[in-house]
Amino acid sequence: MALDGVDLEIQDGEFVSLVGPSGAGKSTLIKMLIKEDRPTSGKVVLDDIDLADLPDKEIPFLRRKIGTIFQDFRLLESKNALENVAFALEVAGADDEEIIKDVDQVLAIVGLADKKKNFPKELSGGEKQRLAIARALVHRPKIILADEPTGNLDMVNSFDVVKLLWRINELGTTVILATHDDKIVNTVGKRVISMEKGKIVRDQLKDGKYII
Amino acid sequence: MSDKLPSSQSLKRIVSSGWVNFRRNSFMSFGATGVMALALLVFSGLIVLNFFTSQVVTFLDEKVDVSVYFQNDAKEDQILEIKSDLEEFGNVRTVNYISQDQALEDFKNRHRNDQLIQDSIVELDSNPLQASLNVKAVDPSQYASIAQFLEGNALKTVIDKISFYENELAINRIRGISNTFSRGGLGVTLLLAMVAVLVTFNTIRLTIYNKREEIEIMKLVGATNWHIRGPFLVEGGFYGLFASLLTLAVFYPSTYFISNKLLGFAPDINLFNHYLGNIGQMFFIVIGAGLLIGVFSSFIAIRKHLKV
Repeated sequence: MALDGVDLEIQDGEFVSLVGPSGAGKSTLIKMLIKEDRPTSGKVVLDDIDLADLPDKEIPFLRRKIGTIFQDFRLLESKNALENVAFALEVAGADDEEIIKDVDQVLAIVGLADKKKNFPKELSGGEKQRLAIARALVHRPKIILADEPTGNLDMVNSFDVVKLLWRINELGTTVILATHDDKIVNTVGKRVISMEKGKIVRDQLKDGKYII
Repeated sequence: MSDKLPSSQSLKRIVSSGWVNFRRNSFMSFGATGVMALALLVFSGLIVLNFFTSQVVTFLDEKVDVSVYFQNDAKEDQILEIKSDLEEFGNVRTVNYISQDQALEDFKNRHRNDQLIQDSIVELDSNPLQASLNVKAVDPSQYASIAQFLEGNALKTVIDKISFYENELAINRIRGISNTFSRGGLGVTLLLAMVAVLVTFNTIRLTIYNKREEIEIMKLVGATNWHIRGPFLVEGGFYGLFASLLTLAVFYPSTYFISNKLLGFAPDINLFNHYLGNIGQMFFIVIGAGLLIGVFSSFIAIRKHLKV
């Protein structure tokens, strides 16, 4: 069992670090929030909606309210930076003018305005992750879920990414950051939830630290 | 908010994405399109065969008549007596008398370009052709009773043969052959259609496999099911469309070619003109069948291999 007796409430606008060794259940928790995994018992409630009651055809709309970022970036190698972000809007049925405007805006926010035409393989690890964040932001989500976003990055790039998430949070978006990187967690502070073997072992509401 | 049908903008994106799938997959596309075109071609052949048979049978039905051939020693007044007997018989429309001399004249006319035959005729001492009566009935099904009537005639001895049975045999044989071909053709069509579905199914499955990453990302960013499935259905449709166009591109020239050959022994049936006249209908049937096979194959591939 990946998760066991997790009872957790996260408020609008919080910045939550989810920490713990691999296999602690951080990713499972995140997958449940976008209904990629379903709990065998218990409830996942998001915006007052019990996800178990959400019909399958509504899942795409749930996922537009939640931006997701992963360790492996999940960018399309065949599309350039601009197209990678635009793709998220295209498959949601936005019209072309809207797409151009929104994509320019988010690329500026993540600092990739001058790399629009570059393909993922021409970007550094940090830039790739910022591009993934831009894609996650383009739907103007209420929540950003970041699953080990710094796992493939060096120290400097990791801090860039975290600072970006921080700024996004300051603009009012809830951020849930799953990581096992203690330096990052200790820099961010804020709320830190520690997990181990599928259970929450510690929930520090303020100035949390990574404690092993 | 619900999973409503895509807007025109989305539809455009879905179609263009399907087109890109089709184009990028060129080698596999070639196979799928080729097999499908083969199935459609056999199917078109079947349509032509059925049309041709029905034409031939109608043509022969109209040509059916009873020809009564007389012994060489039959006297003209005996023949004319039988003729007037026949004219009184209810089912007879016309009776035409062809004397021995007339028959020879007709024969010479028919072969006037053949020097060998002309020379042979000159060599002959007597006229080898028989006098005959040509009987047309009001209703083609009445020929048996006319033949029966002749069999019972008092002057039956001067009659050499009645050539009605042979025609009927020919008609039945044509019907029989055509039925066999039709059934065989239908079997082959179904078999090829099945192979086409399998090959297309496999091609689409491969596309789905190649695009698993993109599909994963599409789900992640909240693409509707239509957006994920649509391009593959469109891709299947493109295989069908191109296969149909290929089929039609082969079909019309072949019909033209065959038509010219057939004109030799069935001058009343012009296949090419018939299908040129019905070009709209033919396009509709072939393209419709192609799209059906393509989209159906794609649909089962999606059902089996694309979880959304």
